[in-house]
Amino acid sequence: MVFEKVAAMLADHVDCDVAEIKMETAFADLGIDSLEVAELVMQLEDEFNCELEMSQNIKTVKDICAVIEAKIA
Amino acid sequence: MLHTPLCDLLGIEAPVLQGGMAWIADARLAAAVSNGGGLGIISAMNAGGDYLREQIALCRSLTDRPFGVNIMLMSPHVAEVAQIVAEERVPVVTTGAGSPAAYMPAWLAAGIKVIPVVASVASARMAARAGAHALIAEGMESGGHIGELTTMVLVPQICDAVDIPVIAAGGIADGRGVAASLMLGAVGVQVGTRFLVAEECGVHQVYKDKVLEATDISTVMTGRRFGDTCRCIKNGFARNYLKIEFDPAASADQVANFGVGALRRAAIEGDAKNGCFLAGQCAGMVKTEQPAAEIIRELCDGAERLLKR
Repeated sequence: MVFEKVAAMLADHVDCDVAEIKMETAFADLGIDSLEVAELVMQLEDEFNCELEMSQNIKTVKDICAVIEAKIA
Repeated sequence: MLHTPLCDLLGIEAPVLQGGMAWIADARLAAAVSNGGGLGIISAMNAGGDYLREQIALCRSLTDRPFGVNIMLMSPHVAEVAQIVAEERVPVVTTGAGSPAAYMPAWLAAGIKVIPVVASVASARMAARAGAHALIAEGMESGGHIGELTTMVLVPQICDAVDIPVIAAGGIADGRGVAASLMLGAVGVQVGTRFLVAEECGVHQVYKDKVLEATDISTVMTGRRFGDTCRCIKNGFARNYLKIEFDPAASADQVANFGVGALRRAAIEGDAKNGCFLAGQCAGMVKTEQPAAEIIRELCDGAERLLKR
């Protein structure tokens, strides 16, 4: 559920097919820089109604999903 | 002298912060800026804890006024230096390259005023939420690691997004820049490049000359391809770096390795060709080596004259 929402948001953000977003996809591969990651994290907070912590370690779709799952579990 | 709410927040006379430039911003420069009425800042750079403790002690021996430490959050020693500033109860901490949220509780408990450097609205909102006392909104005119937005558009958008004081950085080298920053909604400025040529700045003379001789188009952005954008003087090093960076065969690691040691070569060794001379776009406006106190006075007096018009 978390992955599907994150993938949909990312696909919408970079204008690609949602099928292209995998768990192991890195933000850098999508051309998303660290400033954009911060903005996406804010959007995901609204989407999942929780506060997420930004960190250098959030590099892939899997990383961000793990952070969200830990918060909403 | 020009007075804003930032002066009251930090206990300083002039709303001018000196940028925490790695390999450049040491205790002597920081103390000279603080003694001149601004807020001097020591760069913790990528060094370990012993260096920082020594610099803090030296700064305290040279000034009894408030000063700050800049912590680069990507430093391999970040946990150690974060603890030292809390133990030493450094008056102000500025942070760069990431979110300081993990260290905020310890710093706030130590009574430290925390001022993260941000380059976007989202990072500004996150830093404010984490308990920052103020923010430095740094435009891409700045030297060193930078974002994509200019000071002109970044400062007002961050001012609109947060309720804490905003300090403008990037492209500010004289009273006009200070006055403009206040017009954009900032309550103060952070200045790097102009302090680099302060008499009390111990950087190699070759570095100072690079800045003093710079024109409007003397700087260039490197590292954009891999999201690690940096502004520096366009010398042999910068030109070679760009060649490698935009060689499709070069990997991110190869590009990163090319830059290793280049800041030291510039600041300490004065290697004009092979050093990386970080400097802002305003380098072309910096024409004189003068005492830090005089720089602060000129920035503030110039702004005051303009604001009274």
